Amino acid sequence: MDLATAIVTVEMVEASQMGMKALGAGLAVGLTGIGAGVAEMGIGAAAVGATAENKDIFGLALLLTVIPETIVIFGLVVSLLILF
Amino acid sequence: MLQPKTMTRLLIVGSKEQMSSAVTELYRHHLFHITDYTDQGKEGFEGVRIGQPMAGATELSTDLIKIRSIENTFGLTPDDYLGAPKRPAASIREIIERDLPKIEEKVSNLTAQRSSAEARIRVNEQRIAELEPFSVIPLELGLYHGYDSISVIAGRTSRDIDIPVPHEKFYTPAKSGGTMVIFFKNGDRSAVEEALGNAEFQQIPIPAEDGSVRQKIDQYRSEISTLNAEIAEIDRKIETLKSENGQFLAACDEVLSADVEQAEAPLRFATTELIFIADGWVPTGDVETVKSGLSQATGDRILVMEAEESAGEQSKPPVEYNNPDFAKPTQTIVDIYSRPKYDELDPTLMIAIIFPLFFGIILGDIGYGLVLLGLALGLKRVLKGETVEHLLNVLRNASISAIIFGVIYAEIFGAHPGALDIELWEPLLSRHLLIGSHAHHQGDIAVLLVFAVWLGILQMTMGRCMGVVNHYRHRDMVHVMGQVGWIALMWGALLLIWSIAAIPLMPDLTMLPAVVMGLNAAGIIGLLLLVAGTIAVMRESPLELIEIPSIVSHALSYTRLAAVGLSSVAIAMVVNFIAIEMLIEPNLKELTVVGIIIIVVGIAVLLVGHLLNTALGLLGGGLQSLRLQYVEFFTKFYKGGGEKYKPFGMKKRLTED
Repeated sequence: MDLATAIVTVEMVEASQMGMKALGAGLAVGLTGIGAGVAEMGIGAAAVGATAENKDIFGLALLLTVIPETIVIFGLVVSLLILF
Repeated sequence: MLQPKTMTRLLIVGSKEQMSSAVTELYRHHLFHITDYTDQGKEGFEGVRIGQPMAGATELSTDLIKIRSIENTFGLTPDDYLGAPKRPAASIREIIERDLPKIEEKVSNLTAQRSSAEARIRVNEQRIAELEPFSVIPLELGLYHGYDSISVIAGRTSRDIDIPVPHEKFYTPAKSGGTMVIFFKNGDRSAVEEALGNAEFQQIPIPAEDGSVRQKIDQYRSEISTLNAEIAEIDRKIETLKSENGQFLAACDEVLSADVEQAEAPLRFATTELIFIADGWVPTGDVETVKSGLSQATGDRILVMEAEESAGEQSKPPVEYNNPDFAKPTQTIVDIYSRPKYDELDPTLMIAIIFPLFFGIILGDIGYGLVLLGLALGLKRVLKGETVEHLLNVLRNASISAIIFGVIYAEIFGAHPGALDIELWEPLLSRHLLIGSHAHHQGDIAVLLVFAVWLGILQMTMGRCMGVVNHYRHRDMVHVMGQVGWIALMWGALLLIWSIAAIPLMPDLTMLPAVVMGLNAAGIIGLLLLVAGTIAVMRESPLELIEIPSIVSHALSYTRLAAVGLSSVAIAMVVNFIAIEMLIEPNLKELTVVGIIIIVVGIAVLLVGHLLNTALGLLGGGLQSLRLQYVEFFTKFYKGGGEKYKPFGMKKRLTED
């Protein structure tokens, strides 16, 4: 009887570990996504405005806009490392 | 190859009599990039002015404006007639003089007729709108006016209003507000207006017409339909004129644009009382063509000099790409960032190889690759224009690369062929995930990530090497050493990491015997490289030191090659799982009515899901790999900002000499 209970508990712990991992991975992508979004918001708006004024700076504008986006890639990498 | 075309600066000097034939000749060659003369009143340039347009420029411009306005009425652009048989330019000029006034008159008559018809339609619509409220009142229009002692007020209101004085009232309620007409004695006007003013009453004008309201409205309606038929007739006439003269007009446009550009060319030259000087650039290989052409056209009475570069003067030659054919479409991608400078390495060739490679690594799926390849080839038939065509060619190359990587990953719409029990080949590199019961392989995520970082290390090293070349050209040794320092920093850090930890796909140097402080030989070399690199970078500029962590962040940034790809695989597998395993398969065993509906839903989920994932893959694969070029690669060596090579003249597309 006691043994059976113990086995179930171990399985539950394992399952809950998996769940925690999944939660962590989700948080890593989600939070970095929000972070990148917030950071790109201002830059993107300014970049679009500047490009409308002068098309030649499109390359520079794109470059500046995507700089914070690396954060979310880091988040994605971290979550992949957590999951696998 | 990695270099723009070499340019030679030409100075063309001749007497003003030769100017027109010289301009025509230059225009024909389409090789001479004119440097505009700017009158800055510099010393030694007294008496040199910007030239005047040639005789006839004004008339030509007027004709061109007429043609453009007719084209506007017809709604045509010269591009519509690409591929039509070419017409001789001389005959076009004759026809312009003979026929253009006639066509212009016809077109302006027709447009005048059409706008007058449109104006009449508007008047009639206005009248109908005024009459409409009265159509519900059982009175003829004649009864509303012509009284001496009685006034009439009409208006819209949503409810019946009590009038406190003697009157005759007609009220018809309606959903959108009823109509009320009140007849009363002239003396009672103020009382009536007060009563109406307190209620929600909106006065409307009474039409000054006679007869039945219905008949009047019908009459105006029939007038409108007659006018509409008239407009359709005019449009048909314009359409006939367009099909008769469209191609001719497009050819006229081309001939006149060319003539106007030639006539106005002297505005870009320096001239004195007697001579003109044209300053500009020609690709070095074509110098002889231009020279001999000019001397033939002017009977050898013109001087063409190859200007030597004087040391103090900084000249900026225009930049024309010089790439093999397969790399040409990629020039558009480099142009979006910025055209290379004349003395800078042109990265187009590298991007032409690396961009499709990265796109393939990210998307890597036979199914999606085929869809995008079909899309690129299909759109190429529909969409015209140079830039669009170039971008579609880039997409074509990228999707071919995606198919190749699809074979390597053994992926078709996210699934391994083994999922259908077809054992064809094993993936060389697996990104499959364990989603669904058909899942086959578990991809080795760590290997994928390290593979991506390797690509980053190689590309960044290549970028720094190109930076070394660019700085070496200016004999700028401090910056050369700085760039070498960056390479040393990166590889030093790598050696140090390898000597401490074993990483898959990377050399394992942890086995070497430790020498000092627990570091082995490789670790010590790495440390030395780090220190040397830091010194070199610091000599370039101490501020650069805060950029050192960017080595790590840029290298890790390349992991997106694996990470973005994996997320697209995950989406594809989830779509397959939901559609096939959850919706379609269980219902296939026993067909019921509900089951068939669920199967249809499953097929819809499958199609929409994969459509969405194709779009995401295109966006992700394209933008992410483009960004790696622009941010991680270009920042190492590329400045850009070169002037585009715009040779004087244009390609004749609709006419010939």
